Amino acid sequence: MLRLVSFCLLLLMPGLAAYAELHPPAQVTAGKGFSISSTGSGDATFYLLAPGHVAKREVKLGQDIAVDPADVKKAGRYLAVACGSGGCNSAAFYVTAAEPDKVSFLLHPSRVRVRTNDAISATALVFDKFHNLVLTPVTVDFKVVPKTGPTISRQVKSNRGVAWMRMASTPKEGPVKVIAEVAKASEARVIQQVASDACNLRIKAKRTAKGVLVETDPVRDCSGNAVPDGTIVSFAEIDADGKTTVDAPIKKGIARTELPVNGSAKISVASGVVIGNEISLGGGL
Amino acid sequence: MSTIVALSRRLVLLVGLGLLAAIAFPIFLNVLRADSLPQVQLNADSIEPRPIEELTGTNVTRDYANAWRDLAQALDKNQADHLDAYFTGFAKNNFTQKISDQKTTGVHVRYVDHGHKVKAFFYSPDGGEMQLLDKAQLEIQVYDGGKLIYQEDAAQDYLVLMTPGADRWFVRSLEPIAGSSF
Repeated sequence: MLRLVSFCLLLLMPGLAAYAELHPPAQVTAGKGFSISSTGSGDATFYLLAPGHVAKREVKLGQDIAVDPADVKKAGRYLAVACGSGGCNSAAFYVTAAEPDKVSFLLHPSRVRVRTNDAISATALVFDKFHNLVLTPVTVDFKVVPKTGPTISRQVKSNRGVAWMRMASTPKEGPVKVIAEVAKASEARVIQQVASDACNLRIKAKRTAKGVLVETDPVRDCSGNAVPDGTIVSFAEIDADGKTTVDAPIKKGIARTELPVNGSAKISVASGVVIGNEISLGGGL
Repeated sequence: MSTIVALSRRLVLLVGLGLLAAIAFPIFLNVLRADSLPQVQLNADSIEPRPIEELTGTNVTRDYANAWRDLAQALDKNQADHLDAYFTGFAKNNFTQKISDQKTTGVHVRYVDHGHKVKAFFYSPDGGEMQLLDKAQLEIQVYDGGKLIYQEDAAQDYLVLMTPGADRWFVRSLEPIAGSSF
C-alpha cells in the first residue's frame, strides 16, 4: 500500500512542481511598479497583456515576479499568464488611473452675444499623466475672466472623468477667458463676446439740398456695447409719393442715409427685430 | 465497362467536391465571421445633458460596431492600419502600440465577438463628445505563436469615448473597466 502511495506521489511530483498560481494585487495604480507572487517551481514564460501593451519574458516560478512601472501605464484590465512545464495559469487585475494631471477642455461656441442665457458650454475631461481618464470624482474649477469686471468661478464635480457646465455670457463685449483647473493642471480658452441687438434705437433728421439726411445716435445694445460696424439699419420713409426703404450699414457706430422727401413725411428706423423711434416731417420744414 | 468507368469518374468527382467543400467551408465561415459586424445595441434613454438625435444614434451604433470589427481584425492579423477608419487619439495609439508589441513578442490576441450592450450616458452640449458604457460579451483567446495559452468567455465592461468626424464617429478611448465601477 505504502509503495502504491509513493508511486502515485512520484508520478504527481513533476506536475505539482510546475503548477503555477499567480497572485497579483486586486488593484494597481497606473505607472507604479509592483510584484506578482507565484507558486510552483521551475522556469516559466510570463505574459502580461495590457490594454495597450504586451510583454513576455522568462521567470522562475515560486518567486515574486516584478512588474515594471512602464508596463502598467494604461488603465484597464490586465491579464497575467505564466506557462511552465505543467501548463499555463492566469490571473486578471485592474489598473486605475493615477492622480489628475491633465485636463482636456472644450468650450463652445467661439463667438457669442452678450447677456445670453446658457449660451456657453464648457466640457472638461480629466486625465492622469498617462492619458488615462480619471474615473474617481474630482473637482474641476471653471473660471470665467471677462475683459472687465470680477472673475466668476464655478466648481463642478467630474463624473466618470467628465465635468461640464453651461453658463450665460457676461454683459460686456470683448474677449472672455474661460479656464478649467484640476489640481495643478489648467487649460484656458477664449471666447469672443459681441454686442447684442440694438437697444433704444434713435434717429434724427435734417434737411439738405437733395432731401433729408437721417442718422442714428450711436447704436448700442441694452448693455451699452457698441453694435458692430456693418450691422444693417433699415430706414423707411412714407410721404405723398409712397414708401421708400433704404438699408444702411453702421459705420463708426452710426448709420446714416439721405432720403428724397416730398412734402410732409414720416421716417422710421429698425435694426433686426428692434424698432426705433419715428420722426414726422412737416411740409415746410 | 464504359458505364463502370463513367460511374467511377463521377464518384471520384463527387468525393473530390465533398473534400473541397469540407476544407473550404470552415475557411469561408472564418472569413465571414471576421468580416461580419458585431451586434451592437444602443440605449440612450438616460443620456444627458443633450438628447441624441435618431440619426446620430444610428451612426454611433454602426460606427462602434465597425470599430470592434476592425479592432478584432487588427489584433488578430497584427495590422495596425485596420485601426485607421474608426479609431483616433489615445485609443488608436494604445492599440497601435499593442500590435507593435504583439509583433515583437509573437503573442497575439483574438476576439470572438458575441455582441455589445451599449448605454450612452453623456453627450456634450456642443455635440463634440459622447461617452458610453459597453457591456461586451467576448471570447478572448491569447496565442503565443500558434499555441493557445489563454481562453476566456468574458463579460467585459468598457468605458468608451467617441467623437464625431466629418462622416463618422471615432472611438477616442476604449478602456476595459471593472464591472462594479458603476
